[in-house]
Amino acid sequence: MLEMKDVSKVFRTDLIETHALRNFSLQVKAGEFLAVTGPSGSGKTTFLNIAGLLEPYDTGTYHLDGVDVTRLSDDARSRLRNEKIGFIFQSFNLMPDLNIYDNVDVPLRYRRMKSAERHQRITNALEIVGLAARMKHYPAQLSGGQQQRVAIARAIAGDPKLVLADEPTGNLDSLMARQVMDLLERINEMGTTIIMVTHDPELARRAHRNVQVVDGQISDFKPYEPDAGVSASTARLHAVGSSAAEA
Amino acid sequence: MFGYYLRLALASFRRNPGLTALMVMAIALGIAVCLITLTGYRAAAKNPIPHKNDVLFSPAIDSWDPNNPYDKDKPWRQPDLLTYRDAQALVASDIPDRKVIMYKVADVISREDGSMEPETIIVRATSHDFFAMFETPFQYGGGWDQKADQGPEPVIVLSKSMNEKAFKGANSVGKTVRWHDREFRVIGVLADWQPAPKFFDVSNGAFEDPEDAYIPFAFGRQFEMGAAGNTNCWKTESIDSFERFTQSECIWIEAWVELLSAGKVAAYREFLDNYVTAQKKLGRFPRPLNNALYNVDGWLEFNNVVGDDRKAMVVLAFAFLAVCLINTVGLLLAKFLNAAPVAGVRRALGASRRDIFWQHLVEAGVVSLAGGIAGALLGLVGLWALRAWYGRVIEEFGRVLPFEAGSLVLAICISLVAGLLAGMYPAWRIGRAAPATYLKAQ
Amino acid sequence: MEIRPIFSALLRNSAGAILVSLQIAITLAIVVNAVFLVKQRVDKVSRPTGLDENNMFSLRVTGFGKDFKFHTMVRDDMAMLRRIPGVVAATPSPQVPLSGSGSSTVYFTEPNEKGKKEPVAYYEVDEQGVAALGTQLASGQPFAAEDIEYREKESQAVPKSGKTIISKAMAEKLFPGENALGKTIYDNQSQPLTITGVIEHIQGSWVDWNKLDHVMLQPMVTPGPSTLYIIRTAPGELDRVMSDVEVALKKAYQNRVVGKLHKVADLKRRSYSSDSMIVVILGVVTALVVTFSALGIFGLATFNVNTRIRQIGTRRAVGARKLDIVRYFLVENWLVTSAGVALGCILALVGGYVLSKQYGLERLDLYYLVSGVAGLWVVGQLAAWQPSRRAAKVSPAMATRNV
Repeated sequence: MLEMKDVSKVFRTDLIETHALRNFSLQVKAGEFLAVTGPSGSGKTTFLNIAGLLEPYDTGTYHLDGVDVTRLSDDARSRLRNEKIGFIFQSFNLMPDLNIYDNVDVPLRYRRMKSAERHQRITNALEIVGLAARMKHYPAQLSGGQQQRVAIARAIAGDPKLVLADEPTGNLDSLMARQVMDLLERINEMGTTIIMVTHDPELARRAHRNVQVVDGQISDFKPYEPDAGVSASTARLHAVGSSAAEA
Repeated sequence: MFGYYLRLALASFRRNPGLTALMVMAIALGIAVCLITLTGYRAAAKNPIPHKNDVLFSPAIDSWDPNNPYDKDKPWRQPDLLTYRDAQALVASDIPDRKVIMYKVADVISREDGSMEPETIIVRATSHDFFAMFETPFQYGGGWDQKADQGPEPVIVLSKSMNEKAFKGANSVGKTVRWHDREFRVIGVLADWQPAPKFFDVSNGAFEDPEDAYIPFAFGRQFEMGAAGNTNCWKTESIDSFERFTQSECIWIEAWVELLSAGKVAAYREFLDNYVTAQKKLGRFPRPLNNALYNVDGWLEFNNVVGDDRKAMVVLAFAFLAVCLINTVGLLLAKFLNAAPVAGVRRALGASRRDIFWQHLVEAGVVSLAGGIAGALLGLVGLWALRAWYGRVIEEFGRVLPFEAGSLVLAICISLVAGLLAGMYPAWRIGRAAPATYLKAQ
Repeated sequence: MEIRPIFSALLRNSAGAILVSLQIAITLAIVVNAVFLVKQRVDKVSRPTGLDENNMFSLRVTGFGKDFKFHTMVRDDMAMLRRIPGVVAATPSPQVPLSGSGSSTVYFTEPNEKGKKEPVAYYEVDEQGVAALGTQLASGQPFAAEDIEYREKESQAVPKSGKTIISKAMAEKLFPGENALGKTIYDNQSQPLTITGVIEHIQGSWVDWNKLDHVMLQPMVTPGPSTLYIIRTAPGELDRVMSDVEVALKKAYQNRVVGKLHKVADLKRRSYSSDSMIVVILGVVTALVVTFSALGIFGLATFNVNTRIRQIGTRRAVGARKLDIVRYFLVENWLVTSAGVALGCILALVGGYVLSKQYGLERLDLYYLVSGVAGLWVVGQLAAWQPSRRAAKVSPAMATRNV
């Protein structure tokens, strides 16, 4: 699905060079649920931005779903983002001017989809996240958890192959966080590749695979091994939180 | 997609009604002021007979005082009227295809049967070519011929409003009226005719009402009537009779010629020069040779019909419009930059640079179009208000307002173009950066 | 307070500031020139007329028919008018001052067109001429009834009595420093007139004429068949007297037309109509343009404050007082305003020069420029006051908050 080889990105301002990514190489198979962890400033957000074609990189190659993105024009990159990628942000990033329906609608508009098809996809996506009844409401009328679920609906409405999530539960309490993670797992079960950036080891555990990024490079491939004391509570969390209940 | 951008723009306006209203009002006021001053300017600058602009000419010769130019501020100006004898000589030439000699007189009109209240009216004493040359429209009948001029025959052409007063608007051809104690037979009634500016008699007021009636020129002399318009004399002369008055250096007569070919124009110019040179030998025309043949545009400009006040006002109005547009550009810029993170999200979701650009351009366009239309309406109201207030006292405002469709369209186009230009810079700036730039503010 | 860091911070995000500066510049140019023009017009319109124009009206009578006895009509009318209650004085005259219509000629201090000469507007009036115009005589006497010549036929002769009354402005030009009373002046055919009265101040027919205050009264009633009557009423009686006069005149005579009655105040307003319209338009434009600039400054300051909440919090967190924050924004705003004002001065002067050269208007008086600059500076600081106060209220905790 995603293949990065020796990707480097340097931020330059006047006198200072920051090497956000150095010779970064990573392969993600289709259908994987990958968690990317690491200390702050390690470059994981930069990695996500590059993966999502939000930022250009300096050296190396990046193939997304078999397509070499290095030489793509801005238009082509926008189209790729639109059709193949779905984004979930830490601070939701819903449009306050628009209601829920219109928010989910946004990426579909840029695909020049016909209104009947858009309607179908929007209602489907909202059903999956359990917010179909709130279609006409505005983001300000929803709780944090609900807003993130709308953002998820927006991310999946276009049937992307890859979903990129940047600290999706960072601004949510533990109950809402659980619901969001459940949703992500369900989406992954339906076949979508998910790459999730998080600093929370608990959440990282729910993914298939973990990678650690330190100082702009992949550090190791070990899946996270919790110690005994924590695993019990984690197991209980799993059991209670599998239903998508309304908050 | 255009419909989508429109919806987004309207949603954005709803969320910021105060700011949107401010932007629209700013443009509207600028457009309205420009419209008002432009209309005032064009009303005065209009050529009411453009298709004959290059065949109608007013000859101007400098018969004035050797020690003082006619216009102290513009010493190259010829006087704007002619002496009686010069006017006669200038229209005696057979070079022109048509020619007219004329001036205004005033006296009382009444009807023998007493069916109308006598009143003092202004009459134009003119020659028969007047009606064809200036293309006066007739409601009933027509003008007179050369024979009537020679008589002179007591015939009269009435204006529409005069005919309303005297004959209740009926066809009065063949009926008689009494003017200056003589019976005049009505041979024609004009339809509505209010050329603005009144190019053929600018000297007596470019926006005066047209005369109430027209009679053959020779009656002016027969009745020994002085001009009801301007009369200017520079020379010390003993003038103790009307006859002497017609031979004096006083200017009070107007003359126009129609020259249908370039050859005739050249020939007439030569004729003018020859005439003045010959008169100089007789001791007249002490000033240097300074003849001119003004076409309609030239005549209007020569007499500064538009006036400096109006021109200055147009300049100020456009400066004001510039302020208003800059105001709106600034507001749009601030608004768009403020909404940059949202644009960033859209980019992340797949909007191309062009999508973002067009989305913002549509928003700017809607604001400026709304401003232009509001400005046009505001301008209409303003013109109507000015007309109501000043129309009684400024003739031209009563006549030429409202509105020229041309100015209206121009106004809306200006605001639309300006708004689009205004929106382009911020729209371009937003679209230019990488999407992550605006997302980073997390 | 260091200006340099504020200035360089401004430069880095300059689009909004440039726009506001530009706006202020053009505003200054407009305001200075507009106010100057307005003042000129207002001055022009407010010049004292020397007449009692609020209590005067005029109308035209025209006789017709064979053998119409014009002067008999005039005498009869004058006698009747002067008996109507509320009428202070009445006179015939070919034209009315301030109406835009009149006659003018040139008079000399010596015969044969020698000596000093002055153009003058003249009115032929009878013995109540001075009173009907409501003017004050600085010296001399009004005409007596026996001075008035009732001229039957047009001629260029001066009035038979050889008397004339002129305005002081003209007298001072012809006889500077002397008493003009009793002196003789000559027309261009060397016909003499003796000055028997000097009017303190009076205006003639054409308000745009630079010799508007050169006026001469001649003791004469012109030949017919038409003339104006100028009638002056007691204060407060104008409307009533006008209708009474109209009725009386229409009844008194057959074979003559009584024209429309005009209040002299209306004639004056009409003469000045384009001036007053310009004042209105320029006044409105000036007010609007200043308002927009104030709003623009306010908007920019607000915007700057809103986008820098975290920065303000940080400054406060490291020790800035509220006053320091206010000062920061006021200084920043002052920089923007000053840049605009500097450019605006150039534009104002250029604009003033262009207007005076191209359109023959007067050269701009620098007093207006200085006042405009000071005014805009004050407006600018006032407009930025509220946003600056709001900035000072930002809590230092904003430094750490994720907004």
